[in-house]
Order: sequence, then C-alpha cells, then structure tokens
Amino acid sequence: MAEPERDVAAEPLEPVTTLEPVDLDAATEILKPGAYERSAQARLGIGGRLAIVWLVLVVAAALLAPVLPLDDPNRSIAEIARQGPGTAGHVLGGDGLGRDLLSRMVWGARATLVLAVSSVGIGMVVGGALGLMAGYFKGRADTLLTGLFDVLLSFPGIILALTLVTVFASGAVSGGRRMVVLILALGVVSVPVLARISRASTLSWTQREFVMAAKAYGARNRSIMVREVLPNVLPAMFSIGLLGVAVVIVAEGALSILGIGVQLPTPSWGNIIAEGRTDLRNAPHIVFVPTIAIFLTVLALNYLGDIVRARFDVRESAL
Amino acid sequence: MILRRLAHLIAVLFFVTLFVAMLTNLLPGDPVNSIAGFAPEEQKEAVRADLGLDDPVYVQYGRWVTNFATGDLGNYYSVTGGRPVMDRVRDSLPVSLQLIVEAQVLALVFAIPLGVVTAYRAGSRFDKWANAGAFGGLAVPNFALALVLAYYVGVVLGWLPVSGYVAPSEDLGEHLRRMALPAISLAVGQIAAYMRLLRSDMIATLQEDYITMAKSKGISPARVLWRHALRPSSLTLLTVAGLNVGVLIGGAVIVEVIFSLPGMGTLLFEAIQARQFVALQSLVAIIAIGYVLINFLVDVLYGVLDPRIRHGRA
Amino acid sequence: MRPTALLLALGLVAAACSGGGDDDGGGGAAGDEDTDAEEGTPTPGGRVVYGLEAETIDGWCLPEAQLAIGGIQVASAIYDTLTRPNAEGEYEPWLAESVEPNDDFTQWTITIREGITFHDGSELTAEVVKNNLDAYRGQYPPRQPQLFIFTFFNIESVEVVDPLTVQVNTVEPWVAFDAYLYGDGRVGMMAQAQLDDAENCATNLIGTGPFVLENWTPNQSFVASKNPNYWATDAEGNQLPYLDEIEYRPIVEVAQRQNALVSGEINAMHTSDPETIAELRDRAEAGEIGAYETTDFGEVGYVMLNVSQPPFDNILARQAVAHSYDFEEFNAILGAGILTQATGPFAPGSVGHLEDTGFPTYDPEEAERLVQEYEAETGRPLSFTYTTTDAQATVEQGQFLQQKAAEVGIEVDLVTVDQSTQIDLAINGEFEAIGWRNHPGGDPDRQFVWWESAGGDPPNPINFGRFDDQEIDQLLNQGRVTADEAEREQIYEDLNRRFAEQVYNVWISYSIWIVATAPDVHGVPGEGPTGPEPFPGLSTVGHQPEYMWVEQ
Repeated sequence: MAEPERDVAAEPLEPVTTLEPVDLDAATEILKPGAYERSAQARLGIGGRLAIVWLVLVVAAALLAPVLPLDDPNRSIAEIARQGPGTAGHVLGGDGLGRDLLSRMVWGARATLVLAVSSVGIGMVVGGALGLMAGYFKGRADTLLTGLFDVLLSFPGIILALTLVTVFASGAVSGGRRMVVLILALGVVSVPVLARISRASTLSWTQREFVMAAKAYGARNRSIMVREVLPNVLPAMFSIGLLGVAVVIVAEGALSILGIGVQLPTPSWGNIIAEGRTDLRNAPHIVFVPTIAIFLTVLALNYLGDIVRARFDVRESAL
Repeated sequence: MILRRLAHLIAVLFFVTLFVAMLTNLLPGDPVNSIAGFAPEEQKEAVRADLGLDDPVYVQYGRWVTNFATGDLGNYYSVTGGRPVMDRVRDSLPVSLQLIVEAQVLALVFAIPLGVVTAYRAGSRFDKWANAGAFGGLAVPNFALALVLAYYVGVVLGWLPVSGYVAPSEDLGEHLRRMALPAISLAVGQIAAYMRLLRSDMIATLQEDYITMAKSKGISPARVLWRHALRPSSLTLLTVAGLNVGVLIGGAVIVEVIFSLPGMGTLLFEAIQARQFVALQSLVAIIAIGYVLINFLVDVLYGVLDPRIRHGRA
Repeated sequence: MRPTALLLALGLVAAACSGGGDDDGGGGAAGDEDTDAEEGTPTPGGRVVYGLEAETIDGWCLPEAQLAIGGIQVASAIYDTLTRPNAEGEYEPWLAESVEPNDDFTQWTITIREGITFHDGSELTAEVVKNNLDAYRGQYPPRQPQLFIFTFFNIESVEVVDPLTVQVNTVEPWVAFDAYLYGDGRVGMMAQAQLDDAENCATNLIGTGPFVLENWTPNQSFVASKNPNYWATDAEGNQLPYLDEIEYRPIVEVAQRQNALVSGEINAMHTSDPETIAELRDRAEAGEIGAYETTDFGEVGYVMLNVSQPPFDNILARQAVAHSYDFEEFNAILGAGILTQATGPFAPGSVGHLEDTGFPTYDPEEAERLVQEYEAETGRPLSFTYTTTDAQATVEQGQFLQQKAAEVGIEVDLVTVDQSTQIDLAINGEFEAIGWRNHPGGDPDRQFVWWESAGGDPPNPINFGRFDDQEIDQLLNQGRVTADEAEREQIYEDLNRRFAEQVYNVWISYSIWIVATAPDVHGVPGEGPTGPEPFPGLSTVGHQPEYMWVEQ
C-alpha cells in the first residue's frame, strides 16, 4: 500500500483508496459534463460530518501546536517513559524516551500534514498543469507527456519514493534537507497520477461548446485553459487530491519504518510508529496511538473523497 | 493492437531502465564517494573504472543494460571488495514472490465469496456491514496491521511465529505458518478492494439480459450467480488482481522488513541502510521491470480473452 | 597506514553507546552470573539454534573480514586461535602448544600442536601458520587485509623454524603480542586452501574448529555440524564438541529474537539491549530460561569528540558536554536501570580500570557556566552536530544527548547515518561528535592503534578523535614494552586519568551482554584454555560453542 493514487481511470486499486475500478472509456464517460448535475445531491450525512470534524481537529492541532498548553515534545521525563495513556498529567502517556505522547502527536500532525499537503500540492500544480497542456493541445505534446506519465507510473509509487529519498537524502543530511527531499520525492510520485486525471478531464471539457466558442472568438489558448477549462477540471483534481493526502500520510509511515522518514527528533506520525516498534511488547500504546490517528485520518479523507467523487460518478447513479 | 502495446512496452522499458541506470549519476557530488566512500583513492578509481562512471551516458546505459540482461547485477561494495548482488537476489526473489502470490490468493479466497454474496444481497444488512468493513479495511495501512498482528497474534497470543522464513520445499506447513501473518497484513487491503470491485461489477452483470433469461429458464439462483454472473466479473477481477501487484510489491517491502523475511524488500532495506547504490539500482530495476511486464501481460490477456467486457461496458 | 586500513574490523563496531555494565558490582573476574547452577554432566548429541544480533554479510575470510560479536561467535565454531584468554584475562596457548617471548620481547616463538588437521584433511603446519600471520599483516599477496595491516604493523618478519615452530620478530618490543594472536577471537587459523581461494574465501570456510560448515544462506542460517576429529577435549577429558550441530540465525530485531527463544523457535540467543536483558533476567529467575551474563572486559559506549576543530578543540566545550550528560536519567529511561556509568575506557576486569577517574559527572550548573565561559572566550555560541547510526537504540540515545545539551544551552544537530557511512565519516574526520562503542577488554595494549597521536609520524589515521597527546603516546609506548604487572597497571591507570582530565571522549557506559538459552541448554560459559574456569569477556568475544550441550 502506501501507493500513491494512480489513475482514477485505469487502475485505482490502492487499498487505502476507495476508487472503484473502471476502464478508461468509462472514465471519460464519467467525466463528461452533465454527469455531475445528476448526482449533485451527494450528501454529507453523519459520516461525512464526523470526517470533517476529525480533519478540522487534526488541522487545528497542527496549526495551533505552538500555542497549545502542551509539554515540550522533545523533553524526556524519566517517570513517564513507556507509561500508557492515563498517566497523571499525560493523557496519552509517554514514548520510549519519556516524552509526552500527546505533545508528540500534535507536533507530529504538523510535520505529517506539511509533508502530505505540500507533496500533493506539488502533484496538483505540476501534474495539473502538465495534464491540462496534454489534454488541451493533444498531438505531440500529449504523446510526449503521456509517455512521461507512463514511465513514472511504471514504478510502484513507494519504490520510486524510497529510491529518490535514498539517492538525495540518505547519509549525513540535515533534518530540513530530508524534509524537502521527502516532499519533492512524494510530489514526483503524485505528479503523474494527478496529471492523468487532469488530462482526462481536460480532454472531455475541451469538446464543450463554450470552449469551442471561446476558441472561435479568438481567445488565447492560455486564457481558455485558465478561465474556461481549469475551473471545471479542479473538482476532479481536488477529490483525488484528498485521497492523495491520505496516501502520502501512509507513505510517510512506510518510509519511516525503512528509516528514511521525517528526521528525528522532529516527530511525525510515521516516525512515532517507527520509533515505537521496539517497545511494542512493553508499551504498545506508542505504536497504537499514531496508528489510530492515521487510520481515522485516512478513513475521513477517503470518505470525503468518495462524497466529492460521487458528484462525478455516473455509474453509481446508473446502477 | 498487440503490436502497439508491444511498442509501448518497449518504450516504457527503455525509459525505466534509463532512469535506473542513471541513478548513480544523480547522486550528489562525485558518485564514487557515495558508492565507495570508504575506499582509498586507488580503490575508488578502480570502482570508477569498473562502473565506467566517466564514460558517456549512452555507453554507461548500454553497459548497464547488457550486464543486467546477462544476470550481472553489480556488486555490494565494501572494504573487503565486491560481492555480487545476484547471489542475494537468487535467494530473495522467491521469498517475495511467494509472499505476493500467497497474499493474493488469500485476498481472492476471501474477496470472491464476499463480493458475490454482497452483490446478490445488495442493500441487505450483511451487505452494509461488509461494505463498512471493507471501507475500514482500505484505511488500514499494511505496516500498521503488520505491527498490530505481530503484537497480538505473535506476542500476546503466541499463536504464530513473527519472524524468520522456511522454504516451502523444506517444510510446507512451517512455511505457511511463517507466511501467515505477513500475508494477512498484505491481504486485508486487497480483500476490501477486490470485494468492493466484484460487488459493483456483479450488480451490473446481474441486471444484464442474459441473466434475466437464465433466471426465467428456471436455473437455480446459486447456479446463475456462480456460473453465469461470476464468470464475466471474474475476468475483471483477475485483471485488477494483476494490476494490483504493484501495490503488493510496495507493501511487501515494508512487511518483509517488519517480519524479517529475507526477501527483496529486506534486500532493498539493507541497500538503503548501507547506501549500496549499485545494489539499489538493480533491485529497483528488477521490481520495476517485473511490474511493467505484469501490467503488460494483464493488459494483453484482458484484451485477448474477453473483448465483450470492454465493449459491453462503455 | 593508509586511511583505508582503517576499517573497523577490529573491534570497532561503531554501534555507539548502547553499552552496559553490571548491577551487581563486578570487579575482578567474579562478575559472572550463571543461573544454570546445577548443570549436571554434559551429554553428547543434540542441536542448538542460536539467534544472532546481526549477519556477517561479508563472510569469514578472516584477514579481510569485519567481525562484530555475531561474526566472532560464528568464527569460534569454525576456527581456532593460537591463544585464548583464561579466567584472569591472561593469554594462554590454545591451538599453539606454547607461545614464548624472548627476554626483551622482540621475538616470539610459537610452537604448534602436533597432528592437528583442518576440516579438509590438510595438516596444520608451521608453514600454514606463517602464511596466516602474513595474510593478516598484508604480506601474503592473495589476501587483502585492511585493518589487520595496521594492527600487526609491529611485526618485522615471520619465519618457519621447523615444521612445528614459527618465529615472529617484532620491530619494537611487544609484551602483549600473545593478546594480538587472539585478536578478540578474530585471528583464527584458516587452511591453506582457504587462504589461497581467490573466489570463495569468504564463504568456503576451512578451519580446525569444533564445527564444520554445512551450509550458509546469508540472513537466514549458518549451519555447522560436529567436527568428529576435533583435537580438543574438556577438562575431564571428554571429546569436544558435545553438540551434533549448531545453527546460527541472524534475527536483527531484539524483540523478535526474544520471542523466538521463548516460543522455542531457537534455543539460544545473545543481546546487549538493556531492556531485553532486564526481561531475560526475570525469565531466568522464574526458571523459564537459562541465562549467562558477564560484566567484565566489556566495551565502552561513548561520544567521541573531534578535537581537531571547533568547538571541541576547546576543552571548555568538551567539559561542558560531559557535565551536561545526566547518566542517571539515561540509565532510567534507556538503560532499564541496569547500566553502570563509565568513567574511562577500561571496563571492570581490565588492566587500567578505575572506579573513579575524575571524569566530569552530571552537573548542569557547571555545564552552563562552562558554556558561558566558552562563549565569552570564543565569541561563538556552543553548538555541534552529533552523528550516530540509524539503529533505533542509538537514535534514541542521540535524542537524549540532544535534550540534555539543550538544557544547559548547547544546541545539537542530530544526523543519523548507516553504519558504513558513520565509519566513513569517522575515518575522514567529518564529524564534530559521533556515537561510538569500542575498546573491548583484554590487554590494554590492544588499544594502542586507536590512541596513538593523530599528528605523529606517520600520522595515525584511526585516531578518529584526532587528539595529539604526548603524554598518552608516552604511556602507550611504555605499556607496550613493560612486562611488570604492577608497573603496567600503573601506566594504564595513568592513561585512564589522562583521558578523564582531557575529556577527549564523553564516556557513557560499559556494554553488557547476555546469552540466554532454553532451560535444557547448558555449557554457555565454557572452559578456559587450561582449566575449567572460563574467560568472562562475553561482551567482547562471545563464548566457545564447543562447550554447549543439550540435555538428552
């Protein structure tokens, strides 16, 4: 797992995502305008609200970490080392080094989210732009770019990410550099995924009358792409982006276990799990707390991603 | 059609190998310092010459591909000289393949009945629970599941060993006991994915005319379900299972490390830790090429076996 | 003496300070603790599956190998060394009949036991011993040793006197040469065929030892079966080894190793992880397992400082770090409370060991004052980069050091690297402070190579901390040529105090090792070369597998 989302169309099969497999023809069908008016009434429901509440909580924790009344995430207190949740004054107990686990979780949310949002952000911007160009200009540009996406997609995502991180940020590098490389590597992995979404969506939108009309009036390509096509492509990108964030959160955990995640002592959810592994016997809570946090976050993102995507999904309503 | 795919395959393979072969050139600074930093100058020069790091890119690429194709996967570099990567791969590749196949089989064994029953009873309480379960299953990272299983099943309950490997040829029962937890860790996400896929696919199939016909002919529901409805969907499922090997490969790397299975993932982990870039190159190449080939085969099979599915859907 | 030579094979597994000591005082050779009190009589037969902390991936072409303790453990099944330490840590002949120096210790005569054959049937002759020794010191061309060249640079020549006698001439007098012939279990004698094996020297192992290699699958298992023609017997005259077969399995994760032992997957294991040791002790007390642990002759875990550049070229900075380190808290959090604080490089039992060397102890106020003094003197804030391996335990230790330093106003950047990179950085001097573990007990002259001045002529490239200390040089040279026990003791105690005064390294704790077994497995301590009392230096060299036996 920990595979970045690949393609809404061809093989959306990563376990952490919820995309139903459809073949490419069906995918373009889905993306046809008009499809989403039909299912626009996709509703949030209780689950969706809970998901939003949880995500708001996580984001708030990440943003407010410096001002929250928390212990220093990097201060050991011998008494709480490996003590479980409920220890007086330390709601979630302490980690293997006697640091307050709640504080590390809150600060960890910060690193984890920065990583996930930034790398998916790169995927959205770069992948979105490339996909837009490929879908809009078609022809040779499309062939070239699609080929590039295919090559990038022919590496299982986690393998590509770990290769890039190992090459550029293993050995004696600072924590800051490691973080930048992680963001870029996971960004590279998400580019082709989002690019393919953007391309497929662009392809269908450029067939539409209002785009044709804009062309006929002599509007410049750039202005058509930005004004007419992009706003319509964004929702699909956004829904996949949500899933992408979930995938990157999981990927960071996997990379941490391989020893190339966020550099300690800066906590991330992944490296808290990786560090807690050795204490699994005596202090399983160190692994379980961040595991539950990742699970809930991924679940919430998947759920919301599903809802957002339901607006495009003809198949669901056609059934 | 197949020819076009073949051309595509060759192009992708070319770029994949090109990327991998050029990895050493991407290393920051003088690559020799990363590959054999421990070595004195003369040994570094030997390594440089051995790898041809000063040659033009196309020469480097040609050499790398030739070596790779002839089974020369380069060396692990250390002060005591090089040790062929191939020696390790020969032992490790089967372990990973076994793990992936076993996880896949496990996933299908659970996913197929679940998918069929939930499709048949779509909307029922069982369907809802199974769906919710699958949705949850998709959100469990496999490394987290591996750790939790290792703790509860391996440590607290002590039912299954949590480390080590035994070859199936040596002792099949013991092999399966040791592969159980790793395979389950990998399979849970797949079960959820396959079940959901099969369910929605079969719901669509069940509405097709020939099913209605079969039903009206008085064929028993079970027979209709398993014989007539599952068959077309099973092909989709197999396709997806094939494509999903990429996910399994990624997952296997982590799960092997957690359960100390001596497979490709463990080799990769060692190569990362010891910064054995030449080994890393070969390992990544094997994985990526394997993945590309599987995708290609699945694609071809999909087209060849049942074009009806393709057209029937659109 | 090129920097390459340096690689760490000898003892220098840069694992950083995950050391230990003992909680029951130790001292002398009496620190061992054996829960198999009533062992009974050894019975031949049976099989031991032994969980090792690491695989020796480069194999056992001994002159070229880099053996950590797991590798030594395996080597001791296949190979014999010419000498072996006794219960007091003195070196006695083992594969040799006798090892005798001349009066001024410039010539050593090694007489070999007669009639000993290697696993391939070839004979152990003076010629083979000479070739082995030449291979270690880089004078036997097919073999390319690295570190041993350096270790044995004091050998002038090796000559065959007669079929059973080898004579070694030294450059300088060499009192402790017999300790080097043991080399912490790394200097085994290989058969001529292995010495000359260009391709498979690392994997086709031919020794004279108690077990014969059957099959090695790296990272899975190393199986060796009983050598029926083994030359040695136990103190009672019974044929060794007792076991029919021994299998070594690397299980890197210590928790998994313990699980495997408890679940019966393996029936012996070793570890130096303090928490696991504490758990194993409890299990041993409850009678679930057997456990043998020793406290003597251990390695020391420490923070090595690079004194050739700021900030640690300034003694104020070195003292400040030493005073900032809260050993008690470290012990409570990461040492399971069982470690003993190290105040010098020599563990209990070793010549030169001192309870108190005057090494700076935890004193945050003093540390803060020193930081301020340093800043006033240099006009720079005190900050440094700490490099450590990426193993879980060492990363935790690094984070702890970082915290404690921060509390007194020292900023520490943490860099984690894999072990080979770490060694690389140490050799090239590209570090400010680095986590390290080295200097196993035994004869203190064995440390000569690590401490001789970096700036000498020729410069010593494996004095990684790069200190230039005339006084230390003088003491090392004196120790090398001094035979008198009491005088030597004084010399190495002075050396110890000098280290404390100069704070070239921040000593943390002595490593502690335990061997745990299933209840029916016995004989871990083994025996000494000339009597039933074994050498207790488990930390350094493992133990002799030929004495292990299983109740039948």
